[in-house]
Amino acid sequence: MSDIPVFFLHGLAYAGLLFLVSAGLTLVFGMMNVLNFAHAAMYMLGAYFSYSIMMHFTGQLWLSLLICPVILFIIGALIERFLLRRVHKFGHVQELLLTFGLAYIITELVKWYWGNYPLAVNVGGFLGSTIPIVGITYPVYRIFIFLCAIFVGVVMALILYKTRLGIILRAAVNDSEMVNTLGVNVPLVFMGVFAFGAALSGFAGVIAGPLLSTFPGMAQEILIDAFVVIVVGGFGSLGGAVVASLLIGQLQSFGVLLFPKLSVALVYLLMAVVLIIKPSGLFGEEQ
Amino acid sequence: MKQKSITLISIGALFLAGAFMPLLLKQYHLNMLTEIIIFALFAVSYNLLLGYAGLLSFGHAMFFGLGAFTTAVAIIHIPGLALWNAILIGIVTTVVAGFVIGGLLLRHKGSYFALLTLAFNALFYAVATKWHSVTGGDDGLSITRPSLDLGFTSISLASLTNFYYLTLVIIGAAIVFCWYFTQTAMGKTVLLMRENEERMKFLGYNTNISRLILFTFSGAVAGLAGSFYTLHFQFVSISAISVDMTTAVLLMAFVGGTKTFWGPILGALVYIILQNYLSNITDRWPLFMGFIFVFMVLFIPGGLSEVIMNIRQRFFGRKDNNGGKSAVTEEVQS
Repeated sequence: MSDIPVFFLHGLAYAGLLFLVSAGLTLVFGMMNVLNFAHAAMYMLGAYFSYSIMMHFTGQLWLSLLICPVILFIIGALIERFLLRRVHKFGHVQELLLTFGLAYIITELVKWYWGNYPLAVNVGGFLGSTIPIVGITYPVYRIFIFLCAIFVGVVMALILYKTRLGIILRAAVNDSEMVNTLGVNVPLVFMGVFAFGAALSGFAGVIAGPLLSTFPGMAQEILIDAFVVIVVGGFGSLGGAVVASLLIGQLQSFGVLLFPKLSVALVYLLMAVVLIIKPSGLFGEEQ
Repeated sequence: MKQKSITLISIGALFLAGAFMPLLLKQYHLNMLTEIIIFALFAVSYNLLLGYAGLLSFGHAMFFGLGAFTTAVAIIHIPGLALWNAILIGIVTTVVAGFVIGGLLLRHKGSYFALLTLAFNALFYAVATKWHSVTGGDDGLSITRPSLDLGFTSISLASLTNFYYLTLVIIGAAIVFCWYFTQTAMGKTVLLMRENEERMKFLGYNTNISRLILFTFSGAVAGLAGSFYTLHFQFVSISAISVDMTTAVLLMAFVGGTKTFWGPILGALVYIILQNYLSNITDRWPLFMGFIFVFMVLFIPGGLSEVIMNIRQRFFGRKDNNGGKSAVTEEVQS
């Protein structure tokens, strides 16, 4: 029974990571109505860039945390400006196909440059140590992930609901033409949103590096879990993403403890149940 | 009517050409041709969803893989199972799976549907990987092809030529049946639903049921292709049910062109030939395929068939009803 706090904390850490990934995904979807299949591929890019940076600068995680989101921000902005905007007029299917194709290319490029095998990223110093908490010793890094997720969630909520920029963003979702007419450069706003989503995925990738191993399949793994978060939480809902991340984090964690053989299927089972009972997700609006 | 007889003549010509192929091709190329025919059916079934119904699925490999695995498992566990029954079991399983999954997922449209299909594909993949005692997990399953029992005689399928003829006849017939399906009232309903669903509902069609039937049908056809995939390679691994397999069929259908019926067949041909030759030259061939795909999404959304239609129109001045943009829509009007 002494395992319970440990598994609970594991669940929280994974929930934090899931939230970081799905927040960007759900933000871009909610704002631009684009489901970005390349989101997880960009998250993987973040993890690999972080690996290379830490190789060159002897394990400085904070440096990665600063640089990688900036690189991904630029990549995201370029993708939106030169690729996504071109296909926008052709409709949804084309946008999905484009992001899917980009995810494919990024994965292949990663395999080419970094190789098709797992790379280990180690954090040193205080983050790499353990501290006593609720009667057990626990890795600081996992707690750090959870705190990062809270930080990002609070910042996003403040921007969306407390600033002028947030008002513009929410208005642009409802009626982008009207907002455009009122003198706001809506295409620029959308570019910014997409780039911010990409930066967030890069941030999540850096965080994920030391927790999970960095390998070419990591994108697809997290993508599925992030999709389940979105389905369970409700499309485009930030609050839903918080609740669903926590739920799935614990389910993953305790699933391994209680039903080791079924653990892979549990998450999908939750998704199927939500789909049957409330197809729009726990916090989603009825379509 | 004239259009239809031209199509029938070309179908006959293709079968005839196919019948002579074993005399002309070396074993290696005949092997490739068999693979092309099987994947052509898979791509055609995928295009029934994408091109005809406008449903973008990222989970079509679950049906392909399900058909492939069920056939393999049936052949291994039921001794003396006839070939037909092995294939039939594969199809029946995919029909059931298609019905259940379709019922669950088709309530959603667009991006949401795409996301859910990918998630379900991942579920199937996870089950195939973990259920080691049945699927063999990462090791896959090896089988030997049962011989073909025709009632009065039995033909060994050990030789590639015999199996090629079986594939040509059965898979070829299935492709023709898919084409026939698009010509039926049901096929046209699906097309019209894509164009204006509200109106179809207003006219009294139950669009949900039509979509479910199409989804199940397309899944069953993919399952048949999967069965033959197992029989062809006499081996099935978890890659048959992976998202990579979905990516492959998506590339085939899209590169060939989703706006015509024959586009995906052309796509399967091009894809498998490219795969064979590019993988000899470079290990990075998926990267090339990725670039080709993104280039086409950006500049030639109609795929190769659009290019061919445009060339034909330019040189022979054949006017399509709507400027050669969409042959699928054209079929509705004719």
